[in-house]
Amino acid sequence: MLKLESVLNQFFGYSDFRPGQKEVIESVLKGQDVIALLPTGMGKSLCYQLPGYVFNQPVLIISPLLSLMQDQVDQMKQFKEKRVVALNSFLNPDQKRATIHNLHNYRFIFISPEMLLQEQVQHKLNSMQLSLIVVDEAHCISQWGFDFRPDYLRIGEVIAKEDRPPILALSATATEKVLGDIESYLKMKNTFKFIHSVDRPNIHLGKMLFQAREDKIDWMIDHVTQTAGPGIIYTTSRSKTESLSGRLLQSGIACAAYHGGMDPLDRQFIQQQFIDGTLEWIVATNAFGMGVHKQNVRQVIHESLPSNMANYMQEIGRAGRDGEDSLAILLYAEGDEELAKFIGIDDYPVDAHVDSYIGYRARKEQPASMIHNGEISETAFRVLDYWMQQLPPEGVKQQLTSMKYAKMRAVEEVMGLIDTNTCMREKLVHYFGQTLENRPNDCCQCCGIDYKNIILLRDNISRQSFHLNWEERIKKLLLGNS
Amino acid sequence: MIFQQILIHIFHKLNQERTISAPFHLLRGKRSGQTIQDVGIYHLHKYFGILPKLSRNKYDKELSALIEDQYLIVKEDGFYQLTKNATEKIKEMQNLPFDGWHYRGNEHIFFSRLSLIIQTLSHQKAGQMSFIPIQKDEQVQQWGKNFLKVNHYQDGQLQQKLLDELYESLEKSTIEEVGKNILGLRLSGYEMAGLTWQQISVHEKLNEMDLQLIYIASLHAWINVILLQSDQFQLLNQMVENIRIKNPLTGSAFQSAELFNNGHSIEQISKIRGLKMSTIEDHIVELAMNEPQFNVEQFVPSEDIKKILTAVDDYSTRKLKVLHEVVPHLSYFQLRLVLARGERVEA
Repeated sequence: MLKLESVLNQFFGYSDFRPGQKEVIESVLKGQDVIALLPTGMGKSLCYQLPGYVFNQPVLIISPLLSLMQDQVDQMKQFKEKRVVALNSFLNPDQKRATIHNLHNYRFIFISPEMLLQEQVQHKLNSMQLSLIVVDEAHCISQWGFDFRPDYLRIGEVIAKEDRPPILALSATATEKVLGDIESYLKMKNTFKFIHSVDRPNIHLGKMLFQAREDKIDWMIDHVTQTAGPGIIYTTSRSKTESLSGRLLQSGIACAAYHGGMDPLDRQFIQQQFIDGTLEWIVATNAFGMGVHKQNVRQVIHESLPSNMANYMQEIGRAGRDGEDSLAILLYAEGDEELAKFIGIDDYPVDAHVDSYIGYRARKEQPASMIHNGEISETAFRVLDYWMQQLPPEGVKQQLTSMKYAKMRAVEEVMGLIDTNTCMREKLVHYFGQTLENRPNDCCQCCGIDYKNIILLRDNISRQSFHLNWEERIKKLLLGNS
Repeated sequence: MIFQQILIHIFHKLNQERTISAPFHLLRGKRSGQTIQDVGIYHLHKYFGILPKLSRNKYDKELSALIEDQYLIVKEDGFYQLTKNATEKIKEMQNLPFDGWHYRGNEHIFFSRLSLIIQTLSHQKAGQMSFIPIQKDEQVQQWGKNFLKVNHYQDGQLQQKLLDELYESLEKSTIEEVGKNILGLRLSGYEMAGLTWQQISVHEKLNEMDLQLIYIASLHAWINVILLQSDQFQLLNQMVENIRIKNPLTGSAFQSAELFNNGHSIEQISKIRGLKMSTIEDHIVELAMNEPQFNVEQFVPSEDIKKILTAVDDYSTRKLKVLHEVVPHLSYFQLRLVLARGERVEA
């Protein structure tokens, strides 16, 4: 039997596995189908990277988010893996053709679901021997998952062949229902399931209740000027990230806004500044987090209610990846749940979209033009389009209504954390169908918590200042301190 | 408010003869016959395509601000009138060195290349060659790899050489200090992240839009300096390769121009290409705008050229309809040709 620890050491420079990694990898190497539920920051990607070095055939990784894919490829290249490629819509036609042609020469092939469904890609994949198929963020396959992607449903059809290699489905957040969907849609057999506890005992759960929304802002400014970061404040809209970060900047906090609509270079600058410690706080929409590998985030504050438990879990999970104590505080002002519901269903198709879709069909126009005509967002259209191909219009309307209520219920579930007088941690863990074994000290606001035991006070040492003069700056960039 | 000043300046040059949407298409660099001809007729080359990603929303917001501040009155038919305030504003306007016609957004490719090379050299100097490239574009990355190899970066001499070129070229340029600072702050390297527009805005006390406009104008001016003295800036010269637009004609106009230069008449070109006469005429006007050697007299007798230009002066308009009433024996095509050449014919 191959000594896994020595492979780990040789290729990754670690001496020990993190909990779960070894069990998952052993099953994968035995050729078994595996579902692994590992919390954020527990080293999910190692579960397929290590087998990639043991097998001598390519590993195919299906990944839903282009930015995440790019990030993983960058990371692997940074650690000197040259045989890694991303096959997605960022490629121009020439690059795409060349990449597909050379596909068999790569060790790790990242691919988007759209690309996987393309005929030329399937043709090439059928001509190759793969060692493993990885479905990352596998909860996207389930309509009960918080991030349902209809394209994901069709993966099962494409990869379910008699002689297919084993499948490894990965997720950080999936309820039992979602786990069942993953297994059946991907047509997995004799599946080995590794379900890590979703609980992160080093993340302590606070909550603060307010009368008015403006009170939350005052509290945050107060809290952030007095306690130490690094931290992330999550809020709901782009404009809120900007106004709140503006207020904090005025209070002398080194912080920045972060949202999906920003200049791509700006986003990288912020990530880099956050990682190297120039920034204390990031005020972000949920676009921030994926692919940000910062180990020592000490605080996560939710300025507004997340739209569901899975999102909440994932976002607080960005704290304390180094295993040290960290604090997550959920803020609530009266009426916030209505706002969260509104946002939750805002980007979701409604009955009028169904009618319009039928209209396009009747006029023999592409329903996808609805996106360009500004009738519907791209994500909402994906959902609509999927259901229109599955059900008659009335059925779609029913489906959309019940999904809408499901989304509103999801907000109610998060409200449960606010309303409860009993342990918040227990509620969170129960939601994922697990039981809580132990409670840490300062467990949560309901069990009793003293923020001072968890986080430090903010010191007033002046932070590294920027070199503003261009002559000095480019000299330092190119020649360093010499 | 640099953006507002630019808008006022464009409106002023358009002489109240276009609708309020014309500056929007101009700034985005719309490749339609109308916009391209306006560039020639109203001499708006510097602003063409400086903001390819400008959103209508943003534009409308700025426009409303102009109306609110009483620089501009919008008429019911979509045309406009500038106020006295606006004429005053133009006098105090700072003149940024835009050269939109020749760059059209390509200046960003130059800067991507530069920032990737500086990031790499910065890490090399620090002995830390493992880093995540700041530029994600595969083509820019490929370009960067090739650049480093061709210039023997492993010798470790590139840092000083590039620094010397940066200092010299920026000093030679007419870019203001603030422009140079912005360029510097958008670069990053080993343990030095670049600054976001929001952060620069706090430091320089300018709004983000204005910062970006200064940045774009600075890039234009800088690349022009590098290209003018290409033998002195060996490294930078490689970075500006294929950045300046050599052939400013649109694709279709280019094809017509080739046929025209090979001796075909407008009618023949129309038949060969299966396009309407009026389309080919658009292309010829575009050619006339861009080719200094183009002889307008082959279409318009020199006396008529003089008549048209006199009418432009007398009635202080470049509006075709008005001019057509003054010289009714000339076609709209002929008028447009003369306007496209403007002062050059006079000289």
